Amino acid sequence: MLRRLGAGLVALWAAATAAYLALLLAPGDVVDRIIGDGADTPEIRAQIVREWQLDRPEAVRYLDYLWRLLHGDLGTSYILQRPVADVLGEQIPPTLQLALPAGALGVALAVLAAVASAGDRRPWLRRVLSTAELTIVSTPSFLIGIVLLTAFSFRLGLFPVAGDAGPAALVLPAITLALPIAGLLGQVLRDGLDRALAEPFVVTARARGLRDRAVLARHALRHALLPAITLAGWQFGLLLGSAVIVESVFGRPGVGRVTLDAVTSSDMPVVLAVVILAAAVHVALNTLADLAYLIVDPRLRRPA
Amino acid sequence: MRLRLIPAAAALVLLAACGAAPAPSAAGEPRSGGDLIWAVETEPLTLNPHQYAQAKARLLVWNSFEALFTHDERGDYVPWLATGIESDGRTYTIRLRTDVTFHDGERFDAAAVKANFDLLLSDGYNPALRAVQLRNLTSVDVVDPATVRLNLSRPDVLIRDFLATPQAAQVSPRSIKNAKNLKAGGTDVVGTGPFILDSYTAGQQVVYRRNPDYRWAPATAAHTGPAYLDTVTYRFLKESSVRVGALTSGQVRVAEGVPATDEPLITANPGLRLDRSLNSGSAYTYYLNVGNPPFDDVRVRQAFREAVDVGAVLDSVYRGTATRAWSVVSPSSRFYDRTLEGTYGGDAAKANALLDAAGWTGRDAEGYRTRDGRRLTLRLVQNAPFVRDRRDVLAQAVQAAVKQSAGIHLDVRLVDQGTATEALDTGQYEVFDNSRADTDAGAALNLLLHSQGAISRTHLDSPELDALLDRAQATPDTAERLRIYQEVQRYVVRDQAAALPLYAPQDQIAASTTVGGIGFEPTAGVPASAYDVWIGA
Repeated sequence: MLRRLGAGLVALWAAATAAYLALLLAPGDVVDRIIGDGADTPEIRAQIVREWQLDRPEAVRYLDYLWRLLHGDLGTSYILQRPVADVLGEQIPPTLQLALPAGALGVALAVLAAVASAGDRRPWLRRVLSTAELTIVSTPSFLIGIVLLTAFSFRLGLFPVAGDAGPAALVLPAITLALPIAGLLGQVLRDGLDRALAEPFVVTARARGLRDRAVLARHALRHALLPAITLAGWQFGLLLGSAVIVESVFGRPGVGRVTLDAVTSSDMPVVLAVVILAAAVHVALNTLADLAYLIVDPRLRRPA
Repeated sequence: MRLRLIPAAAALVLLAACGAAPAPSAAGEPRSGGDLIWAVETEPLTLNPHQYAQAKARLLVWNSFEALFTHDERGDYVPWLATGIESDGRTYTIRLRTDVTFHDGERFDAAAVKANFDLLLSDGYNPALRAVQLRNLTSVDVVDPATVRLNLSRPDVLIRDFLATPQAAQVSPRSIKNAKNLKAGGTDVVGTGPFILDSYTAGQQVVYRRNPDYRWAPATAAHTGPAYLDTVTYRFLKESSVRVGALTSGQVRVAEGVPATDEPLITANPGLRLDRSLNSGSAYTYYLNVGNPPFDDVRVRQAFREAVDVGAVLDSVYRGTATRAWSVVSPSSRFYDRTLEGTYGGDAAKANALLDAAGWTGRDAEGYRTRDGRRLTLRLVQNAPFVRDRRDVLAQAVQAAVKQSAGIHLDVRLVDQGTATEALDTGQYEVFDNSRADTDAGAALNLLLHSQGAISRTHLDSPELDALLDRAQATPDTAERLRIYQEVQRYVVRDQAAALPLYAPQDQIAASTTVGGIGFEPTAGVPASAYDVWIGA
């Protein structure tokens, strides 16, 4: 466990450093990026250099950055002129509000679809579902969001496009985010189920008189879950990326939208903080996935 | 030289005579009450008016903040929190209203105005403003509680325009001292406006509620006293199809920023209406870099302009909704030079003759013109975060036009901000695109055409041009400024062919017919605040 924590910290440090270097090597210098489209005079440049202490050597600034990071100081946004911790702190709850139900819904849909159509019991359902999955996976979330909005919000008026309407405003964005997860996960799960159903233990179980449904749920699913958990952990990590699009289509607050704005305006402190946040989420999810392995597969619990 | 004091009452009478009230609509007579939801495209980077930099955030600023002056339909200044102004060139003495209170109960007086200017002149607050608009302002004195004096280091008439901009809006002295994040703004950074900032949810919306004590509307407003609406909520919806869908389905009653492709959805709906207004300032223009070959040759610059049939290109991209520009100054500006209309462009034969004369006589395998084995290539670097109005698509249309008519290769690069700034600073471009929404076009011309201008990308570097611009900035007489700016436009557009003006940017507002009083700010041409807006019965 301790080793895992250490590895996690190293991963965070690597992500922070890589992001720092990438931004350092990006075209245009920091002063240019802060000035943006604004007025550009020697006085303004000097002022910016003073304010952000850009006249110190890169190495010193890098160490200072790491030092402040260790103390939880994420710096101040160039563009928004507020502490980055405040900016992100406000935006993390709405993103979680969206991502958690979306993730749960995605997994639920995937399991349902896979269990319903695995094996060779209902070939027609299998064809329909796998075609649907493929279509969803290859459709940009942007388009899914617009289609859902047009149908259920603009035409039928069932859900609001955005705003403070509570859970109702969450339904369409959560579905938009959940569908691609369900699509990919469903395919992997079905493949896993198919493989498991062909294993000898299934024949044994059937021979004991277990019915198809029980075989699927109690035995095959457990086997099929392992690759799906890894994939789910990875997909959840990518939620941030999809959230960018979903949040801007639906006019929702969230980390995704802040990230998009920060990247387009080269707001370095915010971009760095988001990279670190994303890395932390990945580390946490991977750890959770490993723990889930232990629960699903008792063999892994034995000491090596 | 002395500017006449403008008494507020006289301006009021003048405007009443012109009929400043909006045309009657299906919304009926103005009535008080109601909550309006308004979909906007752009979220403000900051809610502090002093830090304002996005033209599209202006409609929010004026709900809760006010400046000392505003503009009328003719581009003249009208007192707002001030009652009058006089100047001897080097100083401006401003008389202030005495009946105004900030949202936090602080009095608006000369000390408050001085506190605002001192803040603007302080280190690290807004360096860009200090270095450009306030470059000639040295100090501000309190003469008496209702009078302040601005001291300039040299005559600068553009300071008057500054006094009517969002950056010169008045923030309560208590906010200046105590606000948690002064630069970012928020509910603790307050002004004197008809609405009070109630809440801001980043990424979602900003809500304003009526200021019941409001009694000091400028003469340009359609009514006096408190605003009609109880609350107005601006919801940030970045996607135009979502804004339009939210409007047509009744989830919002007003939406700004309607692209040409979506206009039929609005105009075909009897319950909706669409209004447009041209922005002031500078037109959307391709500025040609005369410092690089091949644009160091005026014949190539002329040929580039002749190779584009601007009208046809605009029609194909904007479906007849764009207004063609003939000068770098917007046609809606009082300084626009009408005589440039129809004087150039859209003559392929002429373009080809000019290029032949300039020695670009060869052709390569792809049909582009060459000289000494080198292709006639012009680089246009577009800064992605600032591309609006489908300017990337417009660039592709121009690219196709110049290739087809004259064999010119327009190399369009849509890049991130850092890459764009580097390319522009190191001269790695031949074409620079820009438009500005300043209320006084002179501000835009100084930035774009003066050799010392912050975004001077033509590299014309002409002492003659600089002298004209400097003279206009020091001349209080509007007729004389018009004469000088016309000379500037003729020099840049007609004589030097250093610019290809394309279109005059506009704003659009689509609204339910149940909403009345929607309009645009005079002069600026951008959507006005919600002060005069009401929801019909």
